[in-house]
Amino acid sequence: MKIIEILTKIDRRIIYLILLIAVIVPLLFPSPEKVRVMPPVEKFYYAIDKIPEEKALIVDFDYAPQTAPELDPMGFAILRHAFKKRIKVLVLSLYVQPLGLARNALTQVVAEFNSAAQTNADSIIYGRDYVFLGWQVGPILAMLSMGESITNFYKVDYYGNKTDTLPLMKQIKNYNNVGLLASLSGSDIPKYWVMYAQNRFGLKVGAGVTAVSASEFYPYLQTGQFSGLMIGMRGAAEYEEMIEKNLNIKSRKKASESLPALTYAHLVMIIFIVIGNIGYFIKRRKK
Amino acid sequence: MKRTIPLFLVFIFGIMGIIPFIIPNPIVQGTDEFVRNNLLKILAAFALILGLGSLLKVHMDKIRRRRQNWGYSWVLIISFIITSIIGLFGGVAGTGILPTTIGSFSFDVWTIYFNVEVPLGSTMFALLAFFMASAAYRAFRARSTEATLLLASAFIVMLGVLPLGERISPHLPSFAQWIMEVPNVAGQRGILLGVALGALATALKIILGIERSWLGGGGE
Amino acid sequence: MNISSDPWIWISALLSLAIFSFLYRDNPFYKFAEHIFVGVANGWAVTFYWHNILVPSLFDPLFRQGQILYIIPFIIGMLYLTRFIPRVSWLVRIPIGIYMGYYVGVSIPATIQALIIKQAQGTILTPENFQTWHAGNMGIVWSVILFIGVLCTLSYFYFSKEHRGILGTASRIGIIFVMIGFGAAFGYTVMARISLLIGRLQFLLGPWLGIIQ
Repeated sequence: MKIIEILTKIDRRIIYLILLIAVIVPLLFPSPEKVRVMPPVEKFYYAIDKIPEEKALIVDFDYAPQTAPELDPMGFAILRHAFKKRIKVLVLSLYVQPLGLARNALTQVVAEFNSAAQTNADSIIYGRDYVFLGWQVGPILAMLSMGESITNFYKVDYYGNKTDTLPLMKQIKNYNNVGLLASLSGSDIPKYWVMYAQNRFGLKVGAGVTAVSASEFYPYLQTGQFSGLMIGMRGAAEYEEMIEKNLNIKSRKKASESLPALTYAHLVMIIFIVIGNIGYFIKRRKK
Repeated sequence: MKRTIPLFLVFIFGIMGIIPFIIPNPIVQGTDEFVRNNLLKILAAFALILGLGSLLKVHMDKIRRRRQNWGYSWVLIISFIITSIIGLFGGVAGTGILPTTIGSFSFDVWTIYFNVEVPLGSTMFALLAFFMASAAYRAFRARSTEATLLLASAFIVMLGVLPLGERISPHLPSFAQWIMEVPNVAGQRGILLGVALGALATALKIILGIERSWLGGGGE
Repeated sequence: MNISSDPWIWISALLSLAIFSFLYRDNPFYKFAEHIFVGVANGWAVTFYWHNILVPSLFDPLFRQGQILYIIPFIIGMLYLTRFIPRVSWLVRIPIGIYMGYYVGVSIPATIQALIIKQAQGTILTPENFQTWHAGNMGIVWSVILFIGVLCTLSYFYFSKEHRGILGTASRIGIIFVMIGFGAAFGYTVMARISLLIGRLQFLLGPWLGIIQ
C-alpha cells in the first residue's frame, strides 16, 4: 500500500524525466518501423497521383514552426511525389509564418531531385515546373480570388518576380487548371478551403492536419469534401511508405523513424494514467 | 453618424459578399473580384499593421512606466528592429541593398527565421508533451461512465495508431479507425452543425445591425 | 559524437534549451528567449508586408503607375491607425465595418452549403452513404449508428427544453458519442504533442550534438 501511495504522488519533474528517457532512448537506438497504410492516406495519395498532366497541384503550407515536426514530413513527401510524377506544383501560404518552412521544404526537395538529374528536362526548374507564390494577405480573399485568376491576386511571387511573366502561370490561370489542393495546416484552414474554394469553384481538397485537430476533420472525409486526409506523424509515415513502395523514392523517412519513440512515449502515458486511476480508486475505497 | 455609417457599410458589404454566390453574371463577379483584389486586400494589410502597432505600443508603454519585466520589452523591440531592417533592406532572398553575408556566415531574414523563430516556436509546443503527461497523471480519472468511455476510447486510439497496436491485435488499428469514422464523426458532426447554425445566426445579426458589440463601447 | 561548429545551429540549440528550462521553473533565460521569438516573428512578418503586399499592391500602382484610384483604399486603410488617436478613434469602425461586413457576407452561403447542407447529406440514410465505408452490408449498420449519433448529439445541445423523457434519453446517448469522440481526440492529441517533442529532440541530438543521424 505504501508503494501505491508513493506511485500516486510522483513529482512532476520525475514524470518529465521518465517521458524524456522514453523518447530519447529509441532515438539513440533507431529501428524504423513499417506502418499499415490506412484508407484516408491512400485516398490522398491516389488523389495526387491521378492529377492530369495539364493540371497543377497546389500545396498550401499553413503550419507554423510550432507544428512543423508533424507536418513538415507531409510537405516533403507530397513534394517528392509531385516532382517524381512531374506534376506541376504551386506552393503558397495563407499566413506569413509558414512561408519560411515552405521555402525550406521546396529548396531541399528540389535540390534532391536536381542532384540526381542528368539533363535539363529531368531537372526541376523554377517557373517551368513549380512556382512559389508566397503569401498574400487575407486567407479568404486568396481562396476566393484564385478561383477567378491566380496572377491577379498573387501579383508577385515569394521572390518578387511578377507572376504573369512565369511560364507555368501562363498555363495555370485559376482553379479550372488545378487538379487538387493539398492543405497542410495546424488550424481550421482545410475547412475554409472546402467552404470557399470547393463550394464555389468545385476545387478538390486534400488535408494534412495535426493530430490535435484530426477528430474534427473526419466528418469532411466522410462526406467526400476531403479527397484524402493525413493525420500527424502517423499519416506522414504512411505517405512516406506509399511513395517508397509505389514510386521507389528512397529518401529520409523522418516520420517513420520517429514511430518507436512515439510508441514508448504512448506506453509511458498509458502507464501514468493507469497508476493515477489505481491510486484514485484505492483512496475512494478507503473513504 | 459614428455608429450609423459603420453599420450601413457592414450591411452593404455583407450583401456584396453574398450576391456573387447567387448571381453568376460576369459584371457581378468582376465587381466582386475588383473589390477583393483592390480594396479588401489593402485593408487587410493595414489591419496587420494595426496589430503590429498595438504590440509595439504595449511594450513601449511597459518600458516608459517601468512595469514588471520591462527590460524584456527592450529585447523584443530590438530583435524586432534588427529583423525588420535586415528583411526590409536585405530583401526576402537576401538580395537587397543591405549585404547579408560576411564570408560564409549568412544572416539574411530567412536564416534568422529558420534558426531563431523555428526552434523557439517548436520548443514552446514541445513543452506541452511534458505538461500533458503531468496533467493526465494527476487529473485523468475514470470518475463516471462517460469518463471511462473517454478513457477507453483514448487508450484504443493511442495504441491503434502505432505499429504496436497491430502486434497486440491485427484488428486494433481497424477498430481505432472505426472509432474515428463512426462514433467520432457522429459526435463531431453534431457539434459542427450546432456551431455552423450559431455562426450563421451571428453573421446575419452582424449584417442586419442587431449585433453591435464590434463597434466597441462608449457613448459614441 | 560530432558536435556542430555552425554558429546558427548553436544559436538554435541554446534558444531551444532556454525554452526547455521552463520545465524547471520560469527564469530569465526563458523570458529572454520568449521575447526574442515575438520580436523576430514580427520582423519576419514586416518584411513580407512590405515586399509582397504594400509595394506591389498599393505603392507601385499608386505612385509608380499613377493609378490615382488607389488613393481610396489607401485612405480607408490609414483610418485603422486612428485607433491610436482617442479623439477620432471611432473612424477605425469604417475599415473594420467594410472588411468584416464582406467577411460575414461570404461566410453565409459558404456555411449553409458546405457545413450545414453537405454535412446533413452525409448523415441521411441513402445507398450512397452506405457505401462510404466500403464495408458491404455493415455500411448500413454504421450509417444507422451515425444517423442516431448525430441526432442524439444535437439533442444534447438543445437547451430550450428540459432534458426529460425522450429528449433526456437521446441527450444521454448523445453525450456517449461525444465522449467517445473526445477520447479519440485525446488519444490523437497525445500523439501530436509527443511528436513535437520528438522533433525537437531529433534536432538537438542530430544536427547539434551529432549523436544520431
